[in-house]
Amino acid sequence: MKYPQVLQDLIDEFTEIEDKMEILEYVYDLSDEVVEFPIAKWSEKTRIIGCQSEAHLEVVVIDGIVELRCGADSKIVQGLMGIITIAINGRKAEDVLQLKPDFAQEMGILNSLSPSRSNGFRNLFDKVMLEIRMKQ
Amino acid sequence: MSLKDDFPILSREVNGHPLVYLDNAATTQKPQVVIDAMSQYYSNSNANVHRAVHTLAGEATEGYEDCRRWIKSWFNAEKAILTSGTTEAINLVAYGWGRANLQPGDVIVLTEMEHHSDIVPWQILSEERGIEIRYVPVLDDFTLDMEAYAVSLENAKLVCVVHTSNVLGVRNSVDELISLAHNAGAKILIDAAQAVPHDRIDFEHFNADFMAFSAHKMCGPTGIGALLVKNDAFEQMQPFMGGGDMIESVTTSGSTYQTNEHKFEAGTPKIAEAVGWSAAFEWMSKIDLPAHHERLLSIAKWTADQLRGIGFTVYGRHQSGDAAVVSFLHPTIHSEDFARFLDAKGFAVRTGHHCAQPLLNRLGITGTIRASFYLYNTQDEAEKFISTVRYIVEKFA
Repeated sequence: MKYPQVLQDLIDEFTEIEDKMEILEYVYDLSDEVVEFPIAKWSEKTRIIGCQSEAHLEVVVIDGIVELRCGADSKIVQGLMGIITIAINGRKAEDVLQLKPDFAQEMGILNSLSPSRSNGFRNLFDKVMLEIRMKQ
Repeated sequence: MSLKDDFPILSREVNGHPLVYLDNAATTQKPQVVIDAMSQYYSNSNANVHRAVHTLAGEATEGYEDCRRWIKSWFNAEKAILTSGTTEAINLVAYGWGRANLQPGDVIVLTEMEHHSDIVPWQILSEERGIEIRYVPVLDDFTLDMEAYAVSLENAKLVCVVHTSNVLGVRNSVDELISLAHNAGAKILIDAAQAVPHDRIDFEHFNADFMAFSAHKMCGPTGIGALLVKNDAFEQMQPFMGGGDMIESVTTSGSTYQTNEHKFEAGTPKIAEAVGWSAAFEWMSKIDLPAHHERLLSIAKWTADQLRGIGFTVYGRHQSGDAAVVSFLHPTIHSEDFARFLDAKGFAVRTGHHCAQPLLNRLGITGTIRASFYLYNTQDEAEKFISTVRYIVEKFA
């Protein structure tokens, strides 16, 4: 799949890293990339089901442009959110909806993309897409 | 040759590092003899058990029933029903004994320390039958409130209690729990999933009415476990699964059932798994379990002390008889992140609520990191583990 350049650059950077610890450190650092979603606004409606951590998000679509606001108590989960933020924020909703979650596997940041309780990424990705569809 | 050499998986690397497997409370690794026994069964003897006269069926039946002989001998038990594991064994008590013997208004006593497997079946039965459930609280020293237990036994028909906590490693005062339950006229089920890997329990002497456990936590295969039952409780049970193998005869007007354990083993059973479990028993029979238990508890206690020294909160006490389980939390690094960092360095630990949410609610937390040690783990691995934990804390805290 052809990804937006900013995401492709990120995939390239990740694939150059061989050490798993360094990959996790990079994801950890990307937790700073999220648009803050204050804890005061966290609710059952914003919670990502299936994450071991407390992870919440809301998606705003203004004039067809997507903005993801999110946060988690796990820095790595928030780092995954940071990656999605880089991939989708400021882009047209119709373009974002073409995105598939496979890029996470290409980056080597996850062992599996199956939607299980231990893998919040897939649930995170699916919730973002659902919210965009609902707000288009 | 070290004991570790019997386990082929322990020679592999994970993320470029030698695997250090510390998730034994979830499942243990399998020695080569177990893997070989299951492979040999499928290669040479595969057939369905019981009603057939051909040679393969005879070998399969012998293999399956040999496992029952091992269980009865290992635990000194009169009746051993083979199940898919601890969960099915507890459900068998709920539906096989509970439905036949509990009436609306009857009381079941559980504890806050139970695994979900020993809570949910009773909640379902409670909703179905109007049965009252009482929970014995856990005290701040991680033990059960025995005074509250004694009070809760009034009008109780059944007590269901975990022998050793999968989160805390705490071994409950099971002898006292059993004795008080019987004095109150209640039957008692012991969830021994975390106990049997460390302790060769004598079921007759133990004097519980039911005891449930799984093979995979004691070097056996997944998908098989057992329910031990005292004879009088066995006579009070009714089958909750009907089908092949559990019947004496079937006509269009009704069926009669077998009178032995087969009555509760409807359908084609776990034959290869039973063969594998027998091999695990044979392998474990050559191990000095009490000596290893002392060694592992000492490693767990050392690990817990080290973690406290680094600033972790440790949930457990590691006293004599407890399991070699260390549950801990760092004040700032999320448990899931910590486990991922450990995995990146080759350490397998578990995180989350460990299927014991009522206990974690009682402790005021939502999850822990859990390192659990078993026969093949060493002090050297524990020292490497602590060294890696220090590295992670220095880098990310």
